[in-house]
Order: sequence, then structure tokens, then C-alpha cells
Amino acid sequence: MPGREVLTLTLAAALVCGAAAGCSGEDTSKLTVRLLVRDINLRAEGVDCAGTGPYQHVHNRSAFTVLDGAGKRLASGELPPGRSVGTFEEDLGVEKVPTYCEFAVPVEVADRAAYRLVVEGKAPIDLKKDAGNLVAVVP
Amino acid sequence: MKRLAWLVALLLLAGCAADPKPPPPIGGKDALPGPVPSGLSLRPTPSGAVAAPAVLLPLTDGSVLNVADLWAQRPVVLVFFSSWCTQCAARQDALSELARGYADRVLFVGVAAEDKDTDLQDYLRAHRVDYPVAVDRTRAVWESYAVREPPAIALVAPGGALLRGFTGGLDAPALDARLRELILA
Repeated sequence: MPGREVLTLTLAAALVCGAAAGCSGEDTSKLTVRLLVRDINLRAEGVDCAGTGPYQHVHNRSAFTVLDGAGKRLASGELPPGRSVGTFEEDLGVEKVPTYCEFAVPVEVADRAAYRLVVEGKAPIDLKKDAGNLVAVVP
Repeated sequence: MKRLAWLVALLLLAGCAADPKPPPPIGGKDALPGPVPSGLSLRPTPSGAVAAPAVLLPLTDGSVLNVADLWAQRPVVLVFFSSWCTQCAARQDALSELARGYADRVLFVGVAAEDKDTDLQDYLRAHRVDYPVAVDRTRAVWESYAVREPPAIALVAPGGALLRGFTGGLDAPALDARLRELILA
């Protein structure tokens, strides 16, 4: 194989690997980032929602990045809409009840001891690995 | 002959390129309504209704309106939304049609927050929003009306009495029913 073709293939491989997880030879896992915003907002249960109060930047199409403990980017994308989940088991007999807003987004990340989530460039939130999930609960 | 055709094509291209003026943003002051039609019949404002916050509305084209000037003449429906809000998008086509139906009798005003200008314009175009739209970058208007997340709607009577607020918003048939119940005689 001529030298120029070898160089081209090497560069192409490097470019592809730069854009995808796992090309560095590291083991990766397919996980789901689960972010629960405990904003106790009045909503119907099971409807699309967005974070409120200090978490108003957490919503559908917000840019997110998953970092490792050293701050290296492992995955990035956009959040889907949140889904409202009830805070109480009791049936209060009204349509709108105090709820949290939960976001779930699949990612493929290199295996690390620690993970953090950044949404819209705000302060990182620690993620805890739990089975197939990377979980954060705020505040 | 071939050379002439090339010359005409070049002149046409030059003509297209020489039009640098972009269309004005959707939702600017051009979207304000005309005069209130005569004979508009309204229900009396309930006694004890609180005054709606008289905020300034920075529209998509950079112009600024005092919302009190708007409700001095006619009822106002404030529609709080964001382009990324799925519930807003699901209802918007019908709300836009409802607003067109009320034309100059009831003024709809959109108030968008936590949004990007290009996404907002795409949304307004896709859902044929013809009414004025404020860009609430600081969320000051949302906070004045205690709106925590989209969608939400506030109904304001002529003169500025806050009649009702609806967290979670309303679909077009429900909003139409509320307008007839609370405002239109």
C-alpha cells in the first residue's frame, strides 16, 4: 500500500475515533442518565415538564455533557422533555399535584470511577452509577 | 445569442443578491391589531379582581410595549410559552387559529422565555403565530405573573383586572370557553 494511502486511512480513523466513544480502546457502557429535579411544582402527573426555580435551564433541547471525574468529556447531546412524577402516594383528588420533573437520556460512556453532568454550561452535578443508570437528584 | 442569455442570467443573479433587507422578525410590532371594532360587548369586570402586573414587553423586533397600553383598549390573553415546550407546540396551531378568529376584539400576546431567537422564529413560523410576541430574556414578565414553566395563560380584562391564570395552559377550545365565560358578553 502506498504511503499516501496509509496516511489517509490513519487520519480518517483518527477523525472517526475522535467523534465516538470507545475508539481509544477503553471499555464503554450504555447507560441512562436519570436526572430528578425535585422542584415540587404543581402539575398533572405523567406530563412533559421542565425544571423550575434554580433549574429552569433544565428542559427539552438543553445541551448536556457527561464528564468524568477529571473533567474529560465522555458524551454530549440534548435533553429530552422531562416527565412529571408525583411526590406523594396519596390520591389528593385534584388534577394538579406536587410533582418532580425527571429527565432520562441514554448515553454511551467510557467506564470511569466518577461521572458528572453539565447542563447548559451550569455548575456540574455529580452522577451516581446505579445498575444501568447514572443518577442525579437535585436539589 | 448564447452570450446574451448569460448576460441576462448574471443580471438576474445580481438583482437577487442586491436585496439585502431581511424580512422583519415574526411577532414584532407589525403584529399589533387594528382598531377595536365598534359594538364589542364585554362582561363587567368582577369587583375585587386584582390588578394585572403592568410590565414592559420587549417584542421580537426590539420594540418595547407597555402591556397596560394594550389592555386599555381590549381584553388581553397572555400566552406564556417556549419553542422547546412540547405541550405548547401541540396546542399552538389551534391557539393561533383562535387568535385569528378574535382578530381585533381580543389581543393575544405571546411571552417567550428561556429560548433562542432562531428557535423562536422557527416556532412562530411553523405554527403561524400572527400576534405580537415578547422575548422575556430576564424572565421578569414570567416572574411577575408567577409563571414557573410553560405553558401558562393569563386573562386580563380591559382596564387591567387579572381575571384568571392557568398554570399548564389551556387548549384552544378550553380557552375559547373561558373567554366567553369571563370576558365576552
